[in-house]
Amino acid sequence: MKLTTKQLTLCGILTTLALALSVAENQIPLSLAIPIPGIKLGLANIVTVFALYVLGPAQAVLILLARCLLGAVFAGNMNALLFSLMGGFAAMGVMILLSRLRGLSVYGVSIGGAAAHNCGQIAAAVLSLGNTAPLYYLPILLGVSLLTGALTGLMAACLFRALAHTDLMKG
Amino acid sequence: MGTKRITALLLAALAVCGLTGCGGTRDPNEAQESIQVIAMDTAMVLTAYGKESTRAVYDAEEEIRRLDALLSRTSGSSEISMLNDAGGEMVPVGAEICTLIQTAGHFTEATGGAFDITIAPVVSAWGFTTDSYQVPDQEELQALLEHVGMEHVHLSGANASLDPGTMIDLGGIAKGYTADRVAEIFQQHEVPRGKVELGGNILVIGDKPDGTAWRVGVQDPKRPDEADGLVCVLNLTDAFAVTSGSYQRYFEQDGKRYHHIIDPATGYPADSGLTSVTVVADSAQGNGTMCDALSTALFVMGEDKALDFWRSGVYDFQLVLVTEDGRVVVTEGLKDGFVEMEESGYTYEFVS
Amino acid sequence: MNSSPKLRPGLWDALVVLVVAALAVGCAWTVWGGQDRGTELTAVVSVDGVETERLPLREAAGTERTIQAGGYTLRLRLTETEVWVESADCPTQDCVHTGHISRGGQSIVCLPARVIIQLEGGESVDTGVDAVIG
Repeated sequence: MKLTTKQLTLCGILTTLALALSVAENQIPLSLAIPIPGIKLGLANIVTVFALYVLGPAQAVLILLARCLLGAVFAGNMNALLFSLMGGFAAMGVMILLSRLRGLSVYGVSIGGAAAHNCGQIAAAVLSLGNTAPLYYLPILLGVSLLTGALTGLMAACLFRALAHTDLMKG
Repeated sequence: MGTKRITALLLAALAVCGLTGCGGTRDPNEAQESIQVIAMDTAMVLTAYGKESTRAVYDAEEEIRRLDALLSRTSGSSEISMLNDAGGEMVPVGAEICTLIQTAGHFTEATGGAFDITIAPVVSAWGFTTDSYQVPDQEELQALLEHVGMEHVHLSGANASLDPGTMIDLGGIAKGYTADRVAEIFQQHEVPRGKVELGGNILVIGDKPDGTAWRVGVQDPKRPDEADGLVCVLNLTDAFAVTSGSYQRYFEQDGKRYHHIIDPATGYPADSGLTSVTVVADSAQGNGTMCDALSTALFVMGEDKALDFWRSGVYDFQLVLVTEDGRVVVTEGLKDGFVEMEESGYTYEFVS
Repeated sequence: MNSSPKLRPGLWDALVVLVVAALAVGCAWTVWGGQDRGTELTAVVSVDGVETERLPLREAAGTERTIQAGGYTLRLRLTETEVWVESADCPTQDCVHTGHISRGGQSIVCLPARVIIQLEGGESVDTGVDAVIG
């Protein structure tokens, strides 16, 4: 895959942004409300959505991988990697599919992505705990994903609108 | 402000957030691991907190299994079995067993023979080792008692030998020693709090996550089958506690009850007026073994001698004695945090 | 690929929302079973420390379960409120003698078979102790 300097720089910035978002959302004690250690809101998906449209699926996947690995290293917890990867890639997969549907706006794609993200996280929890207890929280998380998805979509829309006339969106 | 500026500011703000977040939010005291282990004829539960809680409990499980194999009297291939079958020959049992035998010997001396690992053949004669209970006759017991006593045990480096006819069983301190070993493993893994239940034997480390002490209930000898049939509750932090009672193992014949705590002086189940003895000590190394040995010894000694022994200060521990005449005698060191169970119908006394 | 997505929410997005919402409700129905499972009494059977089955009493009531472990066979009976070992061929019979257990935290142990049957959940009737010795 050949990346122009511009694309490479953009990848770098986006990865950093995704990492920062990842670490920032760690400050939000979601595990107080939903007692699954390692569970996250999935705000870093803003970057995934953005990268998906601007750079394409291949580079978006790379950024996702980098973010997950580095995120786990920064958190000092490799167990978080499982949650990160499963949540992130589930979201990625769904968003790639949804983004091909022209009728959907960035909101629909983000909400679908958020829902998939949470499904991925629960799946990771079931795998690491070894029993099906985490499924208990799936309904709540799916409901929450409607909100986080909408929020992610809103922020992505703002980003796109703000950058619409810049060089970023052209090649 | 141009869009480029906004983007730049946004990124900068987020980057700052990211930097402050690098400290990590995970509370090491949250991580908890709890496993059940069946070993030494008991269902054990190991609970540890802290970052290394998982490694701590699994390392502890490995150690428990190792000790189970090492100290087992029933497994034909264990060092103890070989020693018991050696007929007087020196057996290379290893440094660990020799140290244990030595420690046991100290307790024998300190308690005037109330605790004695050489009582094994007598315990077997009653059928407690094989679960085929019987009342041995007087002559048989007299003959067996000739071989009881630590003077029949000889140690030399990492070897040991027993005079013919003498046999030992480390079961009286096996779980206590195991508790000591688990305590050390937990300490190596920097476990800040935990709870180790080894049957009638418990080790608590630190306090509970909510800052309160671990609540340890003592079984009421009159209601041994009721999970909440307690004689009292002790509030403990960093402590070992062991309970020995006549109700734990016994059989009945011709209307008489014979229990498993044999008095080494008579060869008969100790008739001391007590139904249970609980020994409590702080979590210093070696106290696990001590509590285990003393719980048996003090049961044999009876209330008066046990309290004298406690007052002598030879070992640092506290006691809860439950007597046949319905009293619960508690040493004053346990007064703080002691919870009486009124519905049990006992009268409680504190002694100093 | 280099494109900009639609930035205004439309009908299709509403469809996605409906699908996710339906998914949430569907999960709630199956996983929560129309009732708060969190406090339901469940008998957890473990052999040698490894969990082998979870039996919610509500569903398993009135049934009999055969547990084979360590070369021994135990017959477990369950009702909506209690669990007990009806019979077993282990030498010590402690499991049978334990009798009926009916509260979260209580357990029946069969040492020869290395089986532990523990009840989880139920109203939090707290005897207030973390462990019992003796």
